Amino acid sequence: MNTAEGIQSAAWILIALPLISAAVLLTTGRFADKWGHLLGAFTPVVLFVYAIFLFFSVKGESNREISLHLFDWIPVEQFQVKVGLLIDPLSLTFVLLITGVGSLIHIYAVGYMAHDDGRRRFFGYFNFFVAAMLLLVLADNYLSLYVGWEGVGVASYLLISYYRNRDEAATAGNKAFFANRVGDVGLSIAIMLMFAYFGSTSYAEVFSHFGEHGSDVGKGVAAAIALMLLLGACGKSGQFPLQTWLPDAMAGPTPVSALIHAATMVTAGVYLIARSFPIFDASTATQTVVTIIGAITLLYGCVCGCGQDDLKKVLAYSTVSQIGYMFLAVGLGPGVYAIAIIHLVGHGFFKAALFLSAGSVMHAMNDRIDMRRFGGLARVMPWTFGVFLCGFLAIIGFPLATGFWTKDKIIEAAFDKGGTSGWVLGLSALIGAGITAFYMSRALIMTFLGERRWEDDVHPHEAPAAMKWPMVVLAALSLVGGYLLVVNGALKHWLEPSLGGAEHHAEHDPTIDPTLLSVIVLVVVAVGVGVAWVVFGRKTVPDTQPVGVSVVTTASRRNLYADAFNEAVLMRPGQWLSRALVYFDNRGVDGAVNGFGALVGGSSGRLRRTQTGFVRSYALSILAGTVAVVVVLLAVRFQ
Amino acid sequence: MSHNFTLVGLLLIPLVGSLVVFGLKKNPTLAKWVALAVSLAVVVYVVVIGIAFDTGKGADRFQFEGDWIWIKAFGVHFSFGVDGIALVLIAMSVVLVPCVLLASWNSFDDPEGGRSIANFFGLILLLEVFMIGVFAATDVFLFYVFFEAILVPMYFIIGSFGGPKRQYAAVKFFLYSLVGGLLMLASVIGLYVTTGSHTFHMAELIGKVPDNATQKWLFLGFFLAFAIKAPLVPFHTWLPDAGAEAPPGGAALLVGVLDKIGTFGFLRYCLPLFPAASKWAAPTILVLSVIGVLYAAFLAIGQRDMKRLVAYTSIAHFGFIGLGIFAFTSQGGSGAVFYMVNHGLSTGAVFLAVGLLIARGKSRNIDDYGGAAKTTPILSGLFLLAGLSALALPGMSTFISEFLVLVGTFTRYKALAIVATTGIILAAIYVLYLYQRTFQGTVSEKVKGFKDVNAREVLSIAPLIALIIFLGIYPKPILDVINPAVKATLSDVHETDPEPIVGTTAGGHK
Amino acid sequence: MSALGLLLAADTPKIPAPHVDYAAIAPILIVVGAALVGVLVEAVVPRKERFNAQIAVSLLGTVAALITVGVIHNKEITTPLPGAGGPTFSGALAIDGTGLFLQGTILVLGLLATLLIAERSVDATSPIVAAAAVVVGSPEDRRLSRTDRVQTEIFPLLSFALAGMLIFPVSNNLILMFVALEVMSLPLYLMAGLARKRRLLSQEASLKYFLLGAFASAFFLYGLALLYGYANTVDLGEIFKATRTSTKSDTLLYLGLALLLVGLLFKASVAPFHVWTPDAYQGAPTPVAAFMASCTKVAAFGALLRILYVAFSGESWNWRPIIWGAAIASMAVGAIWGVTQTDVKRVLAYSSIAHAGFILVGMVAVTEEASSSVLFYVLTYGFTTLAAFGLLTLVRDADGEATHLSQWSGLARKSPVVAIIMTVLLMSMAGIPLTAGFIGKFYVFKAAWHTAGPLVVIALLLSAIAAFYYLRIVVMMFFAEPPEHAPTIAIPGWSTTVALTAGVVGTVLLGVFPQPVLDLAQKAAESLVG
Repeated sequence: MNTAEGIQSAAWILIALPLISAAVLLTTGRFADKWGHLLGAFTPVVLFVYAIFLFFSVKGESNREISLHLFDWIPVEQFQVKVGLLIDPLSLTFVLLITGVGSLIHIYAVGYMAHDDGRRRFFGYFNFFVAAMLLLVLADNYLSLYVGWEGVGVASYLLISYYRNRDEAATAGNKAFFANRVGDVGLSIAIMLMFAYFGSTSYAEVFSHFGEHGSDVGKGVAAAIALMLLLGACGKSGQFPLQTWLPDAMAGPTPVSALIHAATMVTAGVYLIARSFPIFDASTATQTVVTIIGAITLLYGCVCGCGQDDLKKVLAYSTVSQIGYMFLAVGLGPGVYAIAIIHLVGHGFFKAALFLSAGSVMHAMNDRIDMRRFGGLARVMPWTFGVFLCGFLAIIGFPLATGFWTKDKIIEAAFDKGGTSGWVLGLSALIGAGITAFYMSRALIMTFLGERRWEDDVHPHEAPAAMKWPMVVLAALSLVGGYLLVVNGALKHWLEPSLGGAEHHAEHDPTIDPTLLSVIVLVVVAVGVGVAWVVFGRKTVPDTQPVGVSVVTTASRRNLYADAFNEAVLMRPGQWLSRALVYFDNRGVDGAVNGFGALVGGSSGRLRRTQTGFVRSYALSILAGTVAVVVVLLAVRFQ
Repeated sequence: MSHNFTLVGLLLIPLVGSLVVFGLKKNPTLAKWVALAVSLAVVVYVVVIGIAFDTGKGADRFQFEGDWIWIKAFGVHFSFGVDGIALVLIAMSVVLVPCVLLASWNSFDDPEGGRSIANFFGLILLLEVFMIGVFAATDVFLFYVFFEAILVPMYFIIGSFGGPKRQYAAVKFFLYSLVGGLLMLASVIGLYVTTGSHTFHMAELIGKVPDNATQKWLFLGFFLAFAIKAPLVPFHTWLPDAGAEAPPGGAALLVGVLDKIGTFGFLRYCLPLFPAASKWAAPTILVLSVIGVLYAAFLAIGQRDMKRLVAYTSIAHFGFIGLGIFAFTSQGGSGAVFYMVNHGLSTGAVFLAVGLLIARGKSRNIDDYGGAAKTTPILSGLFLLAGLSALALPGMSTFISEFLVLVGTFTRYKALAIVATTGIILAAIYVLYLYQRTFQGTVSEKVKGFKDVNAREVLSIAPLIALIIFLGIYPKPILDVINPAVKATLSDVHETDPEPIVGTTAGGHK
Repeated sequence: MSALGLLLAADTPKIPAPHVDYAAIAPILIVVGAALVGVLVEAVVPRKERFNAQIAVSLLGTVAALITVGVIHNKEITTPLPGAGGPTFSGALAIDGTGLFLQGTILVLGLLATLLIAERSVDATSPIVAAAAVVVGSPEDRRLSRTDRVQTEIFPLLSFALAGMLIFPVSNNLILMFVALEVMSLPLYLMAGLARKRRLLSQEASLKYFLLGAFASAFFLYGLALLYGYANTVDLGEIFKATRTSTKSDTLLYLGLALLLVGLLFKASVAPFHVWTPDAYQGAPTPVAAFMASCTKVAAFGALLRILYVAFSGESWNWRPIIWGAAIASMAVGAIWGVTQTDVKRVLAYSSIAHAGFILVGMVAVTEEASSSVLFYVLTYGFTTLAAFGLLTLVRDADGEATHLSQWSGLARKSPVVAIIMTVLLMSMAGIPLTAGFIGKFYVFKAAWHTAGPLVVIALLLSAIAAFYYLRIVVMMFFAEPPEHAPTIAIPGWSTTVALTAGVVGTVLLGVFPQPVLDLAQKAAESLVG
C-alpha cells in the first residue's frame, strides 16, 4: 500500500470542503440567503473536478491502494484508532459517483428549491451529507466509517424531515433514523468483535486475519462479524427486514430522494459488504443469507411497487428492489462483487434521472404526486418525459441501455451460482425483472401517457434550465453509461485491486448460455411491459384509487403489511412496556421511598399520642422503663 | 507536606466571588456581571492548570498537591491534588458554570419573593467552590466534608428557585443524599479505625484495608452513597423530581456535575481503597448498570414532563458510566471518565436548551408544544445538536466515550455489552421523539408567539456544543490526561486489559 | 440488712475531719456565695435596683468561678495543686480534668443562659413573671403583668442550680451526688414555673417536672441504698474495688446500678425516661428551657460518665446492653416523635432527646477517647441548643413568642439574618459538616466504632430521620409563603445578642477549627480512665 503524495495527499479536502461550506451555510444568518445556495451547489462541483484529477493520478500508479494518514483519533492503550483515508479504486468509484451525480443534483436543486424560504438550510444539510458520505467511503477503518455512516444517517434524517412542520415528514425522519440505529447496533457489535479478536478496527489489520485460505479465527467468529455487518448494511440500504423506512423517506424534497435515497446513501450497505469481502468470503453461510435477503427484498420491492399511486413511492420501492439485486450480487461472492458495484453505479445514473424527472413533474403540478391526477404529461413537458423515458428504458433493461448491461449480469450470475439455490435466486431475479418492467411501465403510462386527469388550477410547465440540463445529462448516462462501465470490463478490471479478481465463471460452464439468458430476460421484460400496456394503457385510469380490488393489490398497496407488522410487533408493545415501567417506577420504586417516609410520619403521628400530658402515664412509662432496665441487667448477668 | 497553593487559590476565587455577589443584592446587574467575570476567571485559571499538568511518562499521579494539617486529633488534613480524572472533571464543571449563569441571566428577579438573582448567582458560585473541592480533595475526610456540604447550596437552589413542587423535591434530594452520605460516614470512620494508620490521606490508605468481610462492609458504605449520588437504578427516584423542579441552570449543574461525584467516587475511592470488594461486587453492579441503561431509557420515552425526561436519560447514561468503571479495562475506565465529562457538557446543554424553551412556553409539559422550529429555528437547531450529543452521535465526543465504554466492556463481558448496545436505539427514540413533539410537526397555538433565542442565550449553549464537537473530532488532549490516571486506578485493583484473542499482526495499528 | 449497715455506719465513734482543698473547690464556693449574696440582695436592695443588682451578682459570680476553673486547670498542668486532679473532701469530690472540663462547660453555658434570662428589651419587661405567687388571671396578676416588676429571685435560684451542677459531675461519692442532684433540681422545678406569658402552662410544666423529678430521685436514692448494701461504701472508687472483690450476691449490685441509672438517665432526658422533657421545655420560660436543655444535660452526663467509668468500668459488659438500648430508644424517640411536632420548642425538645442518644453511643466504649468524645459532644450540643432557644425568644407575635411552626413560614423574607442563623444551628444539630454538630457526631461515632459498629450505623440512619424535621424548619423559613399575621422579629438587647453570638460563633468555630477544644477534651479525659 502506497502513502499518498502530490494531489492525493490533499484528499482530505473532499471531506473538509463540504463540511466547511455546510457550517457556513448553517451558522451564517439570513444575509447568506442571497448566495448560500450558490455556494452549496458550487462545492460538489469543485470536489468533482478534484476527484477527476485524483482519479487520473491514482490510475497512473502501479499500486492503486493509497493510504493517507491524517491524525491520531482515539488513543487508549490497546485501542488505537487513527483517522486516515484509503484511496483505492473502490472508494474512488464512489467518490466520483457521489461528487458527479451529487453535483448534478445540487445544480438541479438550485432550481427546484428556488421558491423555498429554507433553501440555505437545505443546501447546508445537502453539503453536510456529501461530506459524511465521502468520509464513509474514504475511511480506512471501521470506526471512521461508522462516523460517516451515522453522518449520512443524520443528513438523511434532517432532509427527510426537511418540511419540519409536516407531521408525516417528521415521523418519516424518525422512522428512518430508528431503523438505521437498529443497523448501527449490528455495526457497533461487529466493530467490538473486531477489536476483541484482532485488537484493531482498521481494514488492513482486520483483513490481514482473513487470508485466501480462510481466516485464523474460525468460521463462527467470521460469521458473527459478517452477520453483524450485514445487519448494519440492511438498515442503511433499506433491505429486508429493515426496509420500511425507505419509501416513507420520500417525504423529503425530491433532490434528496434522488441523491440520498436512490443514488448514493442507500447503496452504502452494498459498499460495506463489498469493502468487507474478505470477511464475507470467510463465511459462505453468511453469503447465502445475503443472497436470500437480496432475493426477498428485490421481489418485495417489485410487488409493492405495483400497488402505489404515488410516483415517488413507486420509484422508492424500485430502489428497494434494485438494491435487492445488488445484495444478491454481493452475496454471490468473488467475481460478482464488481458486478454489484457496476449495477450500483448504473442504478445511480438512471434512478437519479427518474427521480429528477419525477421531481420536475411535482414541480410542475404544485407538488401533487398522485399519478392518478397526472396523465398525458408527455405533451406538456417533453423534456421531462424524455428523461423519464431514458431512465425507464435503463431500469427495465432495454437492450443497450444501462440496466441491460448491469442487471442482466446479476441474473446471469445468480443462475451461475449453480445448484438449487442458484435456480431459486436466478428465477426470483428473473421474475423481478418482469415485475419491474410492469410497474415501471405502469408509472410511465399513468404519468405521461393517456389523457390529462389533473385539476384546472394546475398549469404544468417544463422545468427551468437549472433543472433541465442536469436531468438531460443523467438521461444520457442512463442510456450509454452502462455500456461505458462494462465495455471490455472497464470498471471490473479497475476494481480488481479492491475486490479481488477471482474469475469464477471460468471454473464451470454457465448454467444457461448468456445470450440465451438475455433473450429470456428480454421476453420476460416484454411480457411485463405488455401486461402493463393492456391493463393501464388501453383503458382510462380512474383518477381515484379503485376500491374492492384483489387481495394482492391491497397487499401491495399496504406494502405487504410490513408497517402493520412493525406497528403490531414492535411499536405498540414498546409503548405498553414504556407506560408499564413508568407506572412501576412511580408507584413501585419511588412508592417504596415515599412509603417509608409515610411510614415514619404515620407512626410518628400515632406514637406522639402517647405523649398524653398526664403525669400519671408519664410516671407509668418511667416505671416500665425502670423495670425494663432491671430485667435486662439481671438477664445479662444471669443468662 | 508540600504547600502548593494552586488549588487553594482555585477554591478561593469563586468563594470570595460568591460572598461579594451575595453582598450585591442591592445592585443585581453588577452582581450578575461580577459573577460572570469570576466564573470566567476560574475557567482561565483551570485552563492554565490544565496546560501545566504533566501527562508525560513517569509524571506524578497527583499534581499541584498542597497539604496542611486541619484536625490533628483525627489525623485530618486539608490536602488537595488532582490526577487526570479530577482535572478533567473540574474543567468540565467550571466550564458549565458561566454557561449556566448566562442562561439564567434574566430569570427570577423578585427580591421580595426571596428570589433575588444575586442570591441565585451567589449560590451557583458557592456550589462551584464545593464542586472543585470535592474533586480536588485528596483526604477522605475532607472529601466527605465537601460531599455533604455541597448539598446545602443545591438544596437552596432547588428549594428557593425551583418549580411548584420544589419543597418536596428539595427535601427529597437532601435526605436521599444525606442517607447515602451518613452510610459513607460510617465507612469513613470504619476505614480510619480498621486501617489504624491515623490518617485520612488517600495515598496512605490505598492497600491498607485488610481483604476480609470488613472490607466488603466498608465498600458497601461508600458504594451506596455513590450509587445514590450517581444515581444508579434502583436508587434513582430522587433525581427526576429534583431535576424537574430545579431551575434549568440548577438542574444542569445537578445532573451535569453533582451526579458525577458519585461515579467519580467509584473510581477514586471504591476501586483503589477496596479492590477485593470492588471485584466481589462488580458483577452485580454491572448487571444493575445494564438494567439501568434500558430501564431508564424506556422511562424517558414514557415521560410527559420534558425535564423529567432529560433526568431519566441521564440515569440511562450513568448506567453506561457504571458499566465502564466496573468492567476494569482501560477502555472502559477512560471511556467512563470521558463519558462523565461529555455527559456534563451534553446534559448541561440539553437542560439549558429545554430551559430556554420552557422559559418561552411556561410549561414543562411536552404536549403543550409542537412545531416550535417554525418560530424559533435557532433554538431548535441548538436543541437538536444538544439532543444528538445526548444520543451519542458519532462525530461528537459523547460517541467516543460511549463506544469506549462498550468496547471496554465487550472485551470482558460480551453479553452485557451487547445488551447495553441496544440502548443506542432507545436513546435515539427518546431524543428524537422529544424533538419531534416539541419542535416539529404542526405548529401549536402556544408556540406561535415565541421569540427566537437572542445572542446571550445562544452564547450560553454554543460553547458547550462547540466543545462536544471538537472533542468528538480530536479527543486526544483529554484522553491523554485521563489515561494515566485510569491506568493507575486499574493497577490499584490489580487488573490488566484482556489481550486480543488472536492478537495483532506486527506493525499496523498498535 | 442494708438499713442495718447504715445504722452501724452512723454510730461509728469518731469522724476524722476531712482534709479540704479550698483552691480546688473554689469555683463551687464562689457560685454558692453568689447565690447567697443574691438572697441578701433580695432582702436589702430596693426593688428598683434589684434586677440590675441581681444580674451583676450572678454574672460576676459565674465569671469569677469560670476564671478560677481556668486557673486551677492551668495550675494542674504546670505545678500539680494538692488535691487538684485528685479527690478532696476525703474523697467525696474529685476535681480532676474531666470534672474541670465539665465545670467549665457548665459555667460557660450557665453564663450564656443568665444573659438570656437577663434580657429585658425583647419582651414587654422580661420573660420572667412579675410575681409567681399571685393567682393566675386575678386582677392583681393582670396589673402586675403590666408593670415592669420581675421575680428577681430567679437569679439566686439560677446560681444555686449552677452550684448543684458544678458538684454533680465531680462528686466521687453517691451521697454527695444525690445532694448535688437535689440542689440542682429543686431550683429548676421552681424556675420552670416562672414564665411571664402562658403562666398556667408554665406552672403545669413546673409541677410535672417536680413530680417526675421526685419520682426519679427516689429511684436514685433507693439504688444508692442497695449499692451501699452491696459494697458497704458510697465512695465510687471503693465501689469499683468491691465489684472486683466482693463475694456478695450480684443481685444487689445490679438492682442498685439499674435504679441509679434510672435517676441519671431521667435527668439526661434519655428515653424511656424522657417523657417530661417536651412538656417542661414548652412550658418553662424559653431562657430557662435553654438553661435546662444545655447545662442540666451536661451535668447529668458528667455524673453518668463518672458512675459508669469510675465505679462500674469493670462491669461494662453488663451495663453496655442498657446503654445500647437506651441510646437506640432515645435516638428513635427523638427522631420519630419529632417528625410530626408542630411547635418549634417541642421540636427542640425532641432533638435534645435524640442528642442524648448520640451521647450515649459515645459512652458504650469505655475508653479515654470515648469519654473525651462525650465531653466534646456535650459542649458542642450545649452551644447549639442554647443559641437555638435564644433565637426562639426573638420570633414573637401579639401574645409572646411565636413558636408554632406555621408562624415561622417565610421568616427568611422578613429577617434573613435570623433565618440564616437558625439554619446554621439546625444544620449543626443535623450533623452537616463545617458545624460543631458534625465534629461532635464524628467523634463519638469514631470512639464507638470498635465496640459498637452496628450501633453507629443505626445512629447514623436515625440521625437521617431526625434531619427531616430540621430541614422542615428550614423549608418553612425559606421556601414557604409568610402567613397572614406574620410574627415580628424583636431587636435583641445586648445580653441576648452576646449570648446568641457566642452560641453561633461557638457552633461554627467548633465545626471549622475544633483542634484546640479537642486537645482540651482529650487532656481532660486522661484522668478518668486509667
